[in-house]
Amino acid sequence: MSTNYGALAKKIVQRAIKKGAKQAEAFLQVGRNADVRVRDGEIEDLTQATSKGVGIRVFVKNRLGFVWTSDFDPSAIDTLIDRAIALAEMSAPNPLNGLPDAKDLGKFPNVGELFDKRVADLPPDWKIKASIEMEKVIRSFDPRIKTIDSVGAGEAVSEVYLASSAGVHGSYEGTSVYLYASPVATDGAQLQTSYWYDAKRFFEDLDSPENVAKKAAARAVRLLGAKKVKSAKVPVIFDPTMAAGFISNITRAMNGDAVFKKSSFLASKLGEKIAPSHVTITDDGLRKRGLATSPFDGEGVPTRKTNLVEGGVLKAFLYDAFTARKAKMKTTGNAARGYSSLPSIGVNNLVLEPGKRSPEDIIKEIPQGLYVTAMLGHGANTVTGEYSRGANGLWIENGELTRPVQEVTVAGSLTDMLQQLDAIGSDLTFHGSTGASTIRFKELTVSGE
Amino acid sequence: MLPIPLCEKLLAAAMSRGADFAEVYAERNEFTAVTLEEDKVKSAQNGLSQGVGVRVISGPRVGYAYSDDLDEEALLRAAKTAAFIAQSKGSERSYDVRRTPLPTFYRLDEHLANVDVAKKRDLVVRANKAARAYDKRIKQVMATWADSTKHVLIANTDGRLAEDTQDMCRISTMVVAEGKNGERRTGSYGGGGRVSFKHFDTFTPEIVAKEAARQAIAGLGAAEAQAGQQTVVLAPGWSGILLHEAVGHGLEADFIRKGTSLFAGKLGQKVASDLVTVIDDGTVANARGSLNVDDEGNPAQFKVLIERGELKGYMYDSLNAKLMGQKTTGSGRRESFKHLPLPRMTNTYLAPGEDTPEDILRSVDKGVYCANFGGGQVDITNGNFVFEVSEAYEIKKGKLGRPLKGVTLIGVGPEALKNVTRVGNDPKPDPGMGTCGKDGQSVPVGVGLPTLRIDDMTVGGTKLGGAR
Repeated sequence: MSTNYGALAKKIVQRAIKKGAKQAEAFLQVGRNADVRVRDGEIEDLTQATSKGVGIRVFVKNRLGFVWTSDFDPSAIDTLIDRAIALAEMSAPNPLNGLPDAKDLGKFPNVGELFDKRVADLPPDWKIKASIEMEKVIRSFDPRIKTIDSVGAGEAVSEVYLASSAGVHGSYEGTSVYLYASPVATDGAQLQTSYWYDAKRFFEDLDSPENVAKKAAARAVRLLGAKKVKSAKVPVIFDPTMAAGFISNITRAMNGDAVFKKSSFLASKLGEKIAPSHVTITDDGLRKRGLATSPFDGEGVPTRKTNLVEGGVLKAFLYDAFTARKAKMKTTGNAARGYSSLPSIGVNNLVLEPGKRSPEDIIKEIPQGLYVTAMLGHGANTVTGEYSRGANGLWIENGELTRPVQEVTVAGSLTDMLQQLDAIGSDLTFHGSTGASTIRFKELTVSGE
Repeated sequence: MLPIPLCEKLLAAAMSRGADFAEVYAERNEFTAVTLEEDKVKSAQNGLSQGVGVRVISGPRVGYAYSDDLDEEALLRAAKTAAFIAQSKGSERSYDVRRTPLPTFYRLDEHLANVDVAKKRDLVVRANKAARAYDKRIKQVMATWADSTKHVLIANTDGRLAEDTQDMCRISTMVVAEGKNGERRTGSYGGGGRVSFKHFDTFTPEIVAKEAARQAIAGLGAAEAQAGQQTVVLAPGWSGILLHEAVGHGLEADFIRKGTSLFAGKLGQKVASDLVTVIDDGTVANARGSLNVDDEGNPAQFKVLIERGELKGYMYDSLNAKLMGQKTTGSGRRESFKHLPLPRMTNTYLAPGEDTPEDILRSVDKGVYCANFGGGQVDITNGNFVFEVSEAYEIKKGKLGRPLKGVTLIGVGPEALKNVTRVGNDPKPDPGMGTCGKDGQSVPVGVGLPTLRIDDMTVGGTKLGGAR
């Protein structure tokens, strides 16, 4: 970490105040990343880079101006600060505008280590070898795997510096390392692909290349011969990765801004039982070694753990400082951003608390149903509460996974789907920063023939 | 942007380990955005992104490095990092580049970055006012202006030097209407392209806002869609997103070379109904997907991908073209200097047919009319595609009926194209609002379609029974 960037962020804030801003903030990011993909035992491409940028937010007479740049030349930054102040004139005055209030700022929590030296020092050779190993495992997994879309590995190191006239100055440094593979299988008549990856902050937490490769290969091969099924209302199971996607979708309706604007199907449901008692969803900004863990959010508010749904009851919505002021609530430390964007409400690590039953147990009870392993489309509308997405997976017959299915949609209303969530597995899996287990919906509409 | 001697020096450094090819891509992109919500202009913003990416190709291997520091030392370091993948003996050779004359598919009277922000702000203020005036059930309006003026320079060891300035803008409006019992419907519309600011004298914010509001109000009281196989009719214009997803991506050369697309090895074969001719055209005047030069320095082209149902060609960037013994089609695009170029679409259209839109509607006894689309996604390997239809109506005995909600279309690309039974004589481009994502890279694209009838399409919905 370089102290120069912290000093630069502070200096920008001072300059902006001196030039007439009532409040100012500099959010600065510096990073480097490297990625390798292989094909036929050789490097396909190798990318290495460094990047940086700063976003400058100013408030002048309750008006907001925002500029960002990747050019740290002092005179360029100086010109840009003038620009930010001029731009503020363009926006409407709003007494709710401004940096977080003093009472919402304070000591940053101890989030543990986010930086792994081993990841930061990872040699290109390791990535090349790991990728070649994944390719070999995939090729030998099943003769029906004929090609690979991509297989690779990479790491990133990122630093964040924040300074504001509200008295915030903080920084943190984090690492991430990842492996990914997407093989393609064919039976002569049909092609099927799948995807698997693992990403962690610490090297020792990363799944082995062999495991990542095997999971990816198995998921592709088992879809061969997939067909439509007859339209029906049946129990539907989401595997942990699809469940994680569903939880992220639902959480968009817990965005305090959407709630305030009544643009969320959950807007009027605070304190109500929206799901069975076994459903608990948390936004955990403090999770040890979590990919989305950080000591403070995009405007310097200490991060925390927020119980969104507890025992099936909707407990909280997520806020940043501006929306909290508007809704007469408190910020939950959920201002998400990169340097090139204004803070807006986002999630940290999302977790659906696991249940006690094995996934096999949950499947066993279903006479006829669908087990979903891949989805297409973005069809979760959290304003209207409608859900309809394309799905691939396996048909369940008498409690067993049988033939592969494709070209169907699963649909329902999100309100009903939450109530129908009648089983949660014990197999908590983190896919990126969202963790979920196998989940079952008592009945959804599957549309096919 | 970068002095030519520095480009040449970087190329020589990139070739220092004896590669086959090297390229310098420099970019400076200025952004302006104004956002309005809750009746107030929320923010006005400016951004600047600049940097240089150096690509080195040695056989099938690609090395890439980029830097947002533009000093010579940092750029030489990037060039040497990119050269890492080449392992033969270096040479002391130097490389000269020469400027390539380019066509002009967009010429603006004033670069968008130079247009006064106050004028841009006025557009979103007008959009907000018009949307709210449309109907008192419109409860939320979000209006956004976004523009960018991007300058690119590409120099490579083939001696090519190309420079272009690519302006792009879009106004968009999203509204929420509230009906009885708290029912909510959303509507959104927008447009722009590589157009001058005065484009918005005719494509006014009022037009944009009214269309968004109309969609939301029209959806109030919508009935649940019936699930199962049905005949669908697609409205002209933005529905072209279906073509983009269902066939376009599967014709991109990287997927073809790797054998991961279901269109691989099918050149000359029948992949669609006789009525289907698909074109990708990067040369349309002022369109969002148009390019004077692609991001590898090659001119954009007009390409027939499918002609009367027969697969005619793929879209190539230079790397895939070389590895496949073909020529580039000017389809190498990248989101920014932080990304490697990939073969991508530009403006993708379905050629018009002979039926009037009225005749097409009249030909359907029972089905779904898809007036507007949300988004879509495709799995290019098995060909499965999905679309969210944001505005839909039932068709009964050749006439439009009740609005439907929660409609999703799903199918397999070539099968859906074989089921195209009528094509309208009313070709229409989209208003300029498409952004396409691939491998985490977003690029602006255009789509377009005449009215289209497709039989036996799977419609996802929540209501069962009595289908067909």
